[in-house]
Amino acid sequence: MNPTQTADRFIIPIGPQHPALKEPGHFEFTVEGETVTGASVRLGYAHRGIEKGTESRNWTQNLYLLERVCGICSHIHATAYTLGVEQLAEVEAPPRAQAIREIFAELERIHSHLLWLGVAAHDAGFDTLFMYTWRDRETVMDILEEVSGNRVHYSANILGGVKFDITDKAANTILKGLDFLEERTHHYRSVVNEDTFFLQRTRGVGLMTKEEALRLGVVGPTARASGVERDIRVDAPYIAYHDFPVNLVTLPTGDLEARFLVRLDELLDSYRVIRDILNDMPEGELTVKRMPRKMKPGEVISRVEAPRGELFYFIRSTGGESPDRIKVRTPTLCNMGSVIKQAVGHNLADVPMILVGIDPCFSCNDRAVSIRESRRNGQEKVWNWADLRRYGIEFYRRKMGLESSILE
Amino acid sequence: MNTQTRLEFAERLLAEWSRGTSAPQPHRLDVIIDPGDLLAAAGALVRSDWGYLAAITGMDPGVATGALWVLYHFAEGAAVVTLRITVPRDKPAVPTLHHLVPLSEIYERELSEILGVEIIGMADKSRLFIPDDWPEGVYPMRKEFEMADAIAEGQK
Repeated sequence: MNPTQTADRFIIPIGPQHPALKEPGHFEFTVEGETVTGASVRLGYAHRGIEKGTESRNWTQNLYLLERVCGICSHIHATAYTLGVEQLAEVEAPPRAQAIREIFAELERIHSHLLWLGVAAHDAGFDTLFMYTWRDRETVMDILEEVSGNRVHYSANILGGVKFDITDKAANTILKGLDFLEERTHHYRSVVNEDTFFLQRTRGVGLMTKEEALRLGVVGPTARASGVERDIRVDAPYIAYHDFPVNLVTLPTGDLEARFLVRLDELLDSYRVIRDILNDMPEGELTVKRMPRKMKPGEVISRVEAPRGELFYFIRSTGGESPDRIKVRTPTLCNMGSVIKQAVGHNLADVPMILVGIDPCFSCNDRAVSIRESRRNGQEKVWNWADLRRYGIEFYRRKMGLESSILE
Repeated sequence: MNTQTRLEFAERLLAEWSRGTSAPQPHRLDVIIDPGDLLAAAGALVRSDWGYLAAITGMDPGVATGALWVLYHFAEGAAVVTLRITVPRDKPAVPTLHHLVPLSEIYERELSEILGVEIIGMADKSRLFIPDDWPEGVYPMRKEFEMADAIAEGQK
């Protein structure tokens, strides 16, 4: 790749190994001085051909394949698929199964949002907050493990119902865990909302107005933090969201601070709704009596609210044992466009936080960014991700009049 | 506006270009339109603020049909309107919606890479998802694509 160079303008390639994306992504930022003037994205480093793969597997096998699209929100992928296939089969899972699906969906949102809070804190230079949130996140991971036997791929769904019941013992564990998490979340909310240093990194940064959010088609907490009233759980309730509704959380400000607060308020609402379900759990079977092996010909669209926003499945059957076509559109794809647009005009120091702000699925461990500077003066400097993160943190320390050496 | 009113409103908006409609699910409306009318029809939805472009599905209904399908899904609340376009398999092309919906570019680049539908007017033709060394003219979502052949080709 050849960096474009003029007098004060060069291109900064970031990636493909990136901390903040479910797939490794490659970004190129054009900068003039310290201001970003252009941005582009290259994806596909983890494209596994799953949509094609579904065509050669049967309806049941695909459940396990699609659950593995994402290592964070596995349950919601399985839910979108299961609901679609159940509509093709003209069956409906029993109420108790739908309620258990909702419990898993909200537990998943809790672990996803807490994970994000930690990573976002880390990238802003607040490692203590990062370590506390990840410690606390273990509470919900332990709950998931106790109920399902697994921390991430809990595989609660089967076609026509769920695999696990929530026993009274499990319900007690969940309620106890939620009490602890609720108390912690109130604490985090006050840190994010009141800490002057934290607010320097978030308030007024990465602004996106409601009009822009609508025009760019962003989804999930990213959209709701710009005042867009859009949540599939509310707009088109699925599983048990009719009986146990969630509250729509929106904020009008549209900056990074709002994206923190929306997710934290969603956590509090998730705790509430799980308690509501456990207090009034429907009795009955966990699965339907019979689920066909072949699905009737037809096309269904299944939309659900993943932790990051609307997840869209299009499923077509031609009457066989395998689907003819499954199309998956994940929320990160919708939000990716907004990163590119938002970065322009911002300082390079804000780029890590703007990327993190959309909560792109985190599953990469490697953190590398290379920054190429102009060779005009015969020098070339390459930064990695850690350098860029440090640059962002120190930029703000200087701005706040703090000697960075004091804090090292 | 409830879902039914929204769908009826969309049906009236699109009536001018409609070549037939169906309701595959209670909250959905599928409208068949000609490729040449795509910009006008999508423009009518966008200008009326009818929902947002939720996804573009590219589909191969089989070699025998001689066609490829491109489905543009617009969503508003629970309602989903799908514009259905059929393009010839030997020269599949649709215009870009980029000027109406900035986000469409990401969906369109995916569509052109995996199904081989040309996007007329697409500014960025660089690869978004498939690898740099993927052979030209091979489209994995076509039904005739065989993984074993592709692997053998790659090993040559």
